[in-house]
Amino acid sequence: MIESPQQRVGTREKLVAKDVNIYYGSFQAIKHANLSIPENTVHALIGPSGCGKSTFLRALDRMHDLTPGARVEGEVLLDGANIYAQGADPVVIRHRIGMVFQRPNPFPKTIFENVVYGPKIHGERNHTRLQEICERSLRQAALWDEVKDRLNRSALDLSGGQQQRLCIARVLAVEPEVILMDEPASALDPIATSKIEDLIGELKEHYTVVIVTHSMQQAARISEFTAFFHLGEIVEVGTTNDIFTRPKEKRTEDYITGRFG
Amino acid sequence: MAVVATTAVSEPRIVADAGVRRRRFIDGLATVILWGLGASVILMLAAFVIYLFYLGASAISWQFLTGSPQETTAGGGIGPEIYNSFYILVLTLIFTVPIALAAGVYLQEYAKPGMFRTIVQFSAESLATVPSIVMGLFGLLVFVYYFHWGFSALGGAVTLTLLNLPALMRVTQEALSSVPDSLREASMGLGATRWQTIYRTVIPSAIGRMTTGIVLIAGRIFGETAALIFTAGLSVSANHPYELNPMRSAETLAIHLWYTHSESIVPDVDRIGNGSALVLLVMVLIFNVSARVAGRALTKRFTGRSS
Repeated sequence: MIESPQQRVGTREKLVAKDVNIYYGSFQAIKHANLSIPENTVHALIGPSGCGKSTFLRALDRMHDLTPGARVEGEVLLDGANIYAQGADPVVIRHRIGMVFQRPNPFPKTIFENVVYGPKIHGERNHTRLQEICERSLRQAALWDEVKDRLNRSALDLSGGQQQRLCIARVLAVEPEVILMDEPASALDPIATSKIEDLIGELKEHYTVVIVTHSMQQAARISEFTAFFHLGEIVEVGTTNDIFTRPKEKRTEDYITGRFG
Repeated sequence: MAVVATTAVSEPRIVADAGVRRRRFIDGLATVILWGLGASVILMLAAFVIYLFYLGASAISWQFLTGSPQETTAGGGIGPEIYNSFYILVLTLIFTVPIALAAGVYLQEYAKPGMFRTIVQFSAESLATVPSIVMGLFGLLVFVYYFHWGFSALGGAVTLTLLNLPALMRVTQEALSSVPDSLREASMGLGATRWQTIYRTVIPSAIGRMTTGIVLIAGRIFGETAALIFTAGLSVSANHPYELNPMRSAETLAIHLWYTHSESIVPDVDRIGNGSALVLLVMVLIFNVSARVAGRALTKRFTGRSS
């Protein structure tokens, strides 16, 4: 039986943030954020610079553990289990939740080594298996045809757009359930951006995608749901269509109509 | 176009006015001065090397490079000294490298900014400024007298370890801190542990700089004198000049150079001094060149890219 996207949308909550507060030292960057992200959808986080959307995104992957002075309160439930609970291991969580960063950050290694980095650290040693994973991930990331003849060349020789697709392939190689993207196209030109956007559209078949974006057009093009952040608060959440055509909050309307931001 | 610009005032400005001419003049001046300074540094070094070759080349012979030193007669060689230099170098690196790398990795990757890290770093920096002669006297008191090691290769190597540990630790830290945090995040983001991140991503990215640091330190160890005079001693082993025993005295090439000129009574002091200086210089040059080559090769090996 073939499910239509509409049927799948909203069937199950993959990731739920409950009363999340995030502090950098004494500064509170996120205040009482509540958000629920359905499985197999693309969920956009929008808002003006400094509104906390990236900060919030990083909390979904326990990336703040790496930032000295950052502190997260509240609960983030992945399939109902709190990733901040005692005994929850960030290594396991980051295996299940992948992250693509704002700037392409390939390792200074070959293209092949970049893609199989994740599988290798999780214990895959079989070279044939790794080659299969490499090809599959690069195909999924729509990069295979461009790099198949030079897998042993340095990833740093790729263009910015190719590097970012490589970073996506690298995340796909560990087969996460959720992919977080922090403005993945903001450092790219329009053609590379549209390739990444097409790719995101395909990814939601198998993954739950949460994407922070600066660009409201991008949010409108690729996401089913949108949350609007302002000054560390989630002002409004809804289907992307509703947020952009009939926002309930004045601040949302002001932002999407370009009155500030 | 240029013709038009000279005739009409309202044409688009393409010819330099007084302000631009002044800036261009200063630009040219700065280029000349910096180029001249660079050239004179190279010239001085070249003159130094050529002069040493001129003085020392005639002393170099197979007999000189492999023969034993003489106390009173002419014709002494430097074979055991070359051997001892490498012996102490290897011994020192065996002590220094693991400790310095481990300490550098700990301070850069594990230690949280705070009191402890500040104290360790402050101590290391203080240790780095201790003159090598002071370190030599420390070695004399502790290893030669207190531990009753006498003059020994081991005592010399441990003293050199203390002398070079802070510098190599610092080099390691700087090499690691040059690795962008975005790579650490990428690795941790894929579910790597901290150690996996360090040995699979951070260290391979920093290996070129770390290797360069190690080889440059090796050059310093090779040429060190003051710290060794009172610890490794001024004589080569009495039993057998090429023995492996670390508890024998072990005069190195650099010390031999100092010794022949200040204490020795052999008639051919100049010949031995000039020859030793030339050999020492060539060795250190080889270290420096191989530092670059090895650094590049390792970077390429680990990153698939030259630079």
